[in-house]
Amino acid sequence: MSDTAAPERGRNDLPAGTGRDPARFADAIRLHALRMVAPQGFGYLGQALSCAELVATLYTSAYRPEIDDVVCSPGHYILAFYAAEAEVGRLDPALLDTYGKNDSDLEAIGTERSPGVDLTGGSLGMGLSGAIGFALANRLSGTQGFTYALISDGELQEGQIWEAALFAGHNKLNRLVVLLDANNSQVDGPVDTITTLEPIADKWRAFGWAAHDIDGHDPEAIDRALKAALQSELPTILIGRTSTRTGLACLPADADGHFIKLPEELTRLATEELESRLA
Amino acid sequence: MRDAPYATELKPYGRALLALAETRPDILCITGDLTRQCEIDLFQDKLPGRFIHAGMAEANMMSMAGALARRGYIPFVHTFGVFATRRPYDQIVNTIAYPNLPVRIVGFMPGVSTPGGPSHQAIDDVAIMRAIPGMTIVDAADAQEIADIVPQIVDVPGPVYLRLKRGEVPVMFDEGHRFSLTRAEVIRDGGDVAILTSGMMLASAVQAADALTEAGISVSLVHVPVIKPLDRETLIRVIGRAKAVVAVENHTTIGGLGSAVAELIADEGLGVRLARVGLADTYAEGSLNAPHLFQKYSLSSQDVTDAAWRVAERAGIAAGGSVPKVRAVPVQAGEYAPV
Repeated sequence: MSDTAAPERGRNDLPAGTGRDPARFADAIRLHALRMVAPQGFGYLGQALSCAELVATLYTSAYRPEIDDVVCSPGHYILAFYAAEAEVGRLDPALLDTYGKNDSDLEAIGTERSPGVDLTGGSLGMGLSGAIGFALANRLSGTQGFTYALISDGELQEGQIWEAALFAGHNKLNRLVVLLDANNSQVDGPVDTITTLEPIADKWRAFGWAAHDIDGHDPEAIDRALKAALQSELPTILIGRTSTRTGLACLPADADGHFIKLPEELTRLATEELESRLA
Repeated sequence: MRDAPYATELKPYGRALLALAETRPDILCITGDLTRQCEIDLFQDKLPGRFIHAGMAEANMMSMAGALARRGYIPFVHTFGVFATRRPYDQIVNTIAYPNLPVRIVGFMPGVSTPGGPSHQAIDDVAIMRAIPGMTIVDAADAQEIADIVPQIVDVPGPVYLRLKRGEVPVMFDEGHRFSLTRAEVIRDGGDVAILTSGMMLASAVQAADALTEAGISVSLVHVPVIKPLDRETLIRVIGRAKAVVAVENHTTIGGLGSAVAELIADEGLGVRLARVGLADTYAEGSLNAPHLFQKYSLSSQDVTDAAWRVAERAGIAAGGSVPKVRAVPVQAGEYAPV
């Protein structure tokens, strides 16, 4: 198809965050997220804390915006991508101040209108199918890009994820890479108190995927898995073991990771902690 | 328009889609494990590179089609109407309709046209698809129309739901008949009773209109293949001079064509009595054959006639006497006539 031909020579084929330190990039995501959520006093900060290294390393090691597609399946995570896009200069940082406000372009739960990603949505479990559509379109048109999709462990409860996993495995969509934020957090509590997802890696391998079960806060481990995915003959999943409290020591032990409350004093402590680490 | 019994054709949709796809490299054909049943074995044989087996996984199929559409393709997605609408509804809303993507959802076996029971009978598909903002809904009546629908819907900017009879499809319209996305088709332009219908019920409505006309009632008959967006202008004109209206659909009377007509009458203050012929807020059932269900659930040509007669009487225009009887139409193998 002529309108979806292979990328032209001269397209920027460097990852969006080339040269950046992924650990510092992750903290920058955390600080942006904190500032976006704090004015409301509560919000999806835990999601940004748990996926910060996954998203940061994706930007520093792999994701080439002019060539690849990125999907944020759980729309509640979209603030991490708003933050990452602002960090690499692809989104006006001033817009972050409008996050979640009336008439803002940056809706708190990602939607069709959300900038910074190729696809997101608030009804969970659908993004992997969209990522498959992109990967299939690339294959049909001979386009070279990879498709990266962030999904969450809670989404593994949705049947559609497994429909999608079957399809991608059967069709060997080897330019599809999933980053699973396994933070063991969902609305009603820890995921493993509600359903047993383990063994997660074995499930995906059984569906025909290459699975890397890694520390989701370790940029080096994430980088190695992303590099391996470039050579894979199968679709790849990085199972990033994470926590919704990582990177903010000041959070109380009983903070609700799905929807963190941020009173003024906690916001001040959290801001100081992140700013001092980034100083 | 031809007279019943009608000749039938096999695979008019499958042929039309293949013919169009041969000139349009952006068309993709996706199947949910119902390839031959949805007439797209023709596409699979000729254009295997653009044919995608999604398997029995309708949620993934719809969201995947949405993303393919984002990349410039026009996916035609195929399964039975029940599975095309009820099962992946949230996926259609969030990953196709809200982004206004040009996915064509093709659902076969409308209403009680299958004896397969409630799991296979799409009796509410129009209702639930009509509730989706931006969805175009087409309920096709015959093979001539289907051949023209396919090229006409391909470039609709947003999503389309196309509702098609499976198997032998009657040829009712004359050769060269044109389908219009914007104009309902006035087949009889009478006055006192307006019969509005679409899809498989057009044949029954024609039989009823004939019987009523012979009994001295002035009848308008309008074929409304595009249920959304409704051609309000034509319907207002026809209903505006009628004293009674009958909406006829192979679907529940809640949410489909009858409801759309009721809304129009109320919106426009047309103040005319409406009878809705369809499944009366009930499921049908499994049976040996479909004609039994059309009889049992009051969807026969005689039922349409009866409903029109009753509503005409209540509007003070039936001449009195007994309800006219619909002409019996004997059929040979390979022919079609309504129950």
